[in-house]
Amino acid sequence: MPKFEKIEYKPIPVHDLLLEMKNLSELMIDLAYSAALFNDKELAEDVIELEGRIDTLAYLLDMEIMIAARDAKDAETLIGVSTVASAADKISDAAADIAAIVTRDIGIHPIVGEIFEKVEERLMKVTVKEGSVIVGKQIDELDLAARMGVDIIAIRRNKDWILDPEETERVFLGDILITRGAPMGIKEFKDIAEGRLTKLED
Amino acid sequence: MVERKQEIFEEIVTRFVELKNTSELMIDLAYSSLMLNSKELAEEVERLEEYMDKLHTDFELLALTSDFKKEEASGFLGLIRLGVATEKIADAAAEMAEVVLRDIEPHPVLKLAIREAEETVTQACVTDNSPLINKTLKEARVHEETGMWVLAIKRGEKSLRPKPDLRIQLGDILIASGYAEGVDDFKKLASPEHL
Repeated sequence: MPKFEKIEYKPIPVHDLLLEMKNLSELMIDLAYSAALFNDKELAEDVIELEGRIDTLAYLLDMEIMIAARDAKDAETLIGVSTVASAADKISDAAADIAAIVTRDIGIHPIVGEIFEKVEERLMKVTVKEGSVIVGKQIDELDLAARMGVDIIAIRRNKDWILDPEETERVFLGDILITRGAPMGIKEFKDIAEGRLTKLED
Repeated sequence: MVERKQEIFEEIVTRFVELKNTSELMIDLAYSSLMLNSKELAEEVERLEEYMDKLHTDFELLALTSDFKKEEASGFLGLIRLGVATEKIADAAAEMAEVVLRDIEPHPVLKLAIREAEETVTQACVTDNSPLINKTLKEARVHEETGMWVLAIKRGEKSLRPKPDLRIQLGDILIASGYAEGVDDFKKLASPEHL
């Protein structure tokens, strides 16, 4: 049985809730495909955990909408918001379904991952280790896109997720970076983040 | 035999990649249709939803007829479930687009404050003599030249996500958004002789 979080009303603006649901659900899709195609259990579990987060956000958003609707006109404009939120929730469910292919040990034929990797970019989870040259640096200082065609699409710091991090965000020791790019580029970046390669080359 | 297997898998992956990319493009277009309150984009999402149904059926038929061995069944089930998930994502995108098509008053929250909603949506066909032909999107610099952002590229029945390395072809229809001032420049760039 999964543990369900108790739902308590928190005054968070509808806009913030909806934007987080949108961003999280999109990140989940990326993570889920990577987990499934490359049989990454840990990543699959992250996706399922994020699904729980989306559910909580959906409850909070529903409550905000109920409070905000005072008359028929309010209800007419708010129904669009709740439809969009429920669609974002469905997208996150689909991502969790994809992750479940891995967590339930169904798996996907390994050839599929191999072929997929040739045609599409892939995602990799990279942990920033001691001795890495990127510790303490801002993302824009790393200039990853130009150097190796790599993008940091999210950072997991302790229990928190930073989605689509700002250019001025700093990288800390122990951060888990979700990166996207061509296989060669992200392999190089992994070596740098884990301290095996100590030079950022141009 | 091994070679044939590889071929079948390559075909399955190609179809899966199209399912995946189409469903993701649909999400992008659905959010854009909400932000810009654009029926044109919402209708494109609905059209793609139907196209997805067809793609998905073809994908499932291919997976089921690829005469896999008993011990491979699980790996094929995984593939089929991936396909089902893309379909679910596409359905969710279509539901969002429906908000626009049903004339639900656009709540300010739906603009999601990514870009200003004073923008407009336009499309243009890439015709003979367009400098865009055979350029990748990155090389084409459409945004730098016209101020318009390419949201999708329609090529026959397909719609493609605007990835930087995607090469523009004669006959492509580019769907873009941006301020009204950029529309003429954008159309001139795609179809130089039609303005």
